Amino acid sequence: MGKNNQGTIKDIQKISEEVYSVKIYAPTVDEILPGQYISILCEGLTFRRPFSVSDFDNHIITVLIKKRGKGTEYILSRKVGSSIEFSAPLGNVFSVENKKTLLIGAGIGAAPLFYLNKKLKELKVKTFFAAGFLSKDDIIVTPHPTLSRKGRGEYDFVSTDDGSNGNKGSICDYLEKLIAEFKPEKIVSCAPRPVLKIVAQTAQQHGLDCEICMEKVMACGIGVCRGCVIQLMQGDRVINKTVCKDGPVFNGKEVVWQ
Amino acid sequence: MAVKTLDLSVEINGFEMKNPIITASGTYGYNNEFDVFCDVKALGAIVTKGITLEPRSGNEGERIFETTGGMINRIGLENIGIEAFLKEKLPVLNKCGIDFILNIAGNTPEDYIKLAQIAQKNNIKAIELNVSCPNVQHGCIEFGTNKQTLYELVQMVRKNYEHCLIVKLSPNVTSAEEIAEAAQNGGADAVSAINTVRGMGVKLDFLNGRFKKTTVSGGLSGQCIKPVALSFVDRISKVIDIPIIAIGGITSFEDVLEFFSVGAKAVQIGTANFTHPNAAEKLVNDLKKFMIQYNFSNLSELQQAVKGV
Ligand SMILES: Cc1cc2nc3c(=O)[nH]c(=O)nc-3n(C[C@H](O)[C@H](O)[C@H](O)COP(=O)(O)OP(=O)(O)OC[C@H]3O[C@@H](n4cnc5c(N)ncnc54)[C@H](O)[C@@H]3O)c2cc1C
Ligand SMILES: Cc1cc2nc3c(=O)[nH]c(=O)nc-3n(C[C@H](O)[C@H](O)[C@H](O)COP(=O)(O)O)c2cc1C
Ligand code: FES
Repeated sequence: MGKNNQGTIKDIQKISEEVYSVKIYAPTVDEILPGQYISILCEGLTFRRPFSVSDFDNHIITVLIKKRGKGTEYILSRKVGSSIEFSAPLGNVFSVENKKTLLIGAGIGAAPLFYLNKKLKELKVKTFFAAGFLSKDDIIVTPHPTLSRKGRGEYDFVSTDDGSNGNKGSICDYLEKLIAEFKPEKIVSCAPRPVLKIVAQTAQQHGLDCEICMEKVMACGIGVCRGCVIQLMQGDRVINKTVCKDGPVFNGKEVVWQ
Repeated sequence: MAVKTLDLSVEINGFEMKNPIITASGTYGYNNEFDVFCDVKALGAIVTKGITLEPRSGNEGERIFETTGGMINRIGLENIGIEAFLKEKLPVLNKCGIDFILNIAGNTPEDYIKLAQIAQKNNIKAIELNVSCPNVQHGCIEFGTNKQTLYELVQMVRKNYEHCLIVKLSPNVTSAEEIAEAAQNGGADAVSAINTVRGMGVKLDFLNGRFKKTTVSGGLSGQCIKPVALSFVDRISKVIDIPIIAIGGITSFEDVLEFFSVGAKAVQIGTANFTHPNAAEKLVNDLKKFMIQYNFSNLSELQQAVKGV
C-alpha cells in the first residue's frame, strides 16, 4: 500500500568509471517528478538508500548509481529480473517554470538534472546543461543519449579537473563565464556541498533564482525522525527543514552553510 | 462451525489497545504520517515523538549513524512542543481513530507535572514518561538512573494524572531491577523498556595522507540491541507485577514471541520502521495469522503458553 513498492530490475549498465544506470520496472508507481527520489531496501542494512530519479517513463524508473559502500554494492550485484523493494516517490520537486535555466551538475550530482532537462525541453524552456567531472572516464553519459558530443553526451558544456575531456578545471571555475554567455534567469544545481555553496552564492550575486538539491544520510525518508535536518534562513529566523521530505530541493538563497 | 472470535486486545488502567503492537517514540511521528506506507489505525497504538513544554530545535551536526544491525541517533528531542501538538496533531489523531500514547520529557520535575496536567485536562488516555533520553545535555537522563529521584518523579506525576501512566526505562543503569521497582512503587501502571543504549559511531576517512574523523555519540537502537532488551525485560519481570511493554530491536514475529516468553504484555517497534515502513502492520497480521492457525482465541492465552515453557 502507498509508497512502499516492489519493482523488478530491468537493466543495469555501466556508464562511467564508477556509475551504473539501473532501470526498475515499478508497476505501482504512477508518477515521479524531477527532483524526487526513491529509497531502496538493501539486504542486511538498517537504512534504505536514497537515489534521485534520473528518468521516469511509463512505470520505468531510471536511477544512476555510483558504487560506494555496502548498499550500492548490494543493488549493483542484483541480477536483471530480480525483485527490489523501495519507497517512492519521496521528497519535493524542482519547480518547472518558463525561465531560461542553467543546469550545473558535478559528478553523480548530474543524475536528477537529466530528468529535469528533459521535462524543461519538452515544455520548450531554454536550458543549458553544464557538468564537471574528475576525468574523462568519470563523465556520466546516459545509455541512450539524444546527443553525443565526443563522449560528452547530453551536456552543453563539460569540464574535467585534469582536462582530459572538455575544459580543464572545476565547473565552479566556469560559472561566471557560463552566466555571462548563456544569460540564465535561473540556476539549478546538484553537486557536492562545496560546489552547491559556490553556485548558490554566485547566483545570489547575479540576482538569479537558484534551486539546489541537497544530500544527507536518511533514516525514515518521510520527515518524522528528524535525522536529516538542515537549517534554512526564512525571514530573520533560522529553522530546521528535513532534506528527505521538505527537500531535497531547496532555494539556494535560504540554505545556511555551516 | 462457529468461527472463534480473536481477542488481541490489551488493557492497561482503562487504556484499551486493539492489539499489542505499538510503534516506538521518535520513529513514527506525531500522528498519521505512516499512512503513506500502511494502515496506522490497525496498530495497537502509536507512541508520539517525545514532547516537551516548549518546542525544541534539537542538536546541531550529524544526528544519525548507521551501525551493523542498527543505528545511533542524537536527535536531541527536536519537537514541536505541547501547545502545537494539541492544536495541530491531536485533532488528526482523533479524526483518524488512531490510539496513541503521549511521550513526554522535561528538564525538571515541574515540566513533567505540567505536561501530565495538560494530558489529564485534554483527556489523553495514556502517557509515557521519557526519563531516559541520553541525547540532551540536562534533564531527563538523570531521572532515569537514580531510583530515589525516579520514585519521587513518578509519584508526583501520578498525583496529577489518573489515566494510563507508563514509565520508559533506560538500559544505561547499574540495576534494572531497582529502577523498575522504583517506577512501580511510584505508582506507574506499566513500564516500557528499553530506551536506546549509549553508543558511539566513528567514521574515518583517509584523504591525502591524513585521517579525517567523524563521530556520532548518542543512543544505539535496532536489532543489535535485542539481546540487551531481552535480558532487561527478563530481569525486571521477576521483580515487578505491572505490565511490561518490551522495546529493542523488534523486527520479526519471532522477536515478538521471544519478548512474550520473557514476560512482555505488549511490544514497541522502533528502528524497524525505517528499514520496513510497514513492519508494525505486518506484525499485527502475522500475530493474527499465527493465533488463528494454532487456535489461540486470546492474547493472554498465547502469552501464557509461550511464557510457560
Ligand atoms: C536525496 C538524495 C539523492 C541521492 N541521489 C543519488 C544518485 O542519484 N546517485 C547516487 O549514486 N547517489 C545518490 N545519493 C547518495 C547515495 O544515497 C549514497 O551514495 C548511498 O546511500 C551510499 O550507500 P552505500 O551503502 O553504498 O555507502 P555507505 O558505506 O553507506 O556510505 C558511503 C558514503 O555515502 C554516504 N552516505 C551513506 N548513506 C547516505 C545517504 N542516505 N545519503 C547520502 N549519503 C549517504 C556516507 O556518509 C559515506 O560517505 C543520494 C542521496 C540523497 C540523500
Ligand atoms: C531516531 C530516534 C528517535 C527517538 N526518539 C525518542 C523520543 O523522542 N523519546 C523516547 O522516549 N524514545 C525515543 N527513541 C527511542 C525509541 O523509542 C526506542 O526506545 C529505541 O529506539 C529502541 O527500540 P528499537 O530498537 O526498536 O528502535 C528514539 C529512537 C530513534 C531511533
Ligand atoms: S530521514 Fe527522517 S526526517 Fe529525514
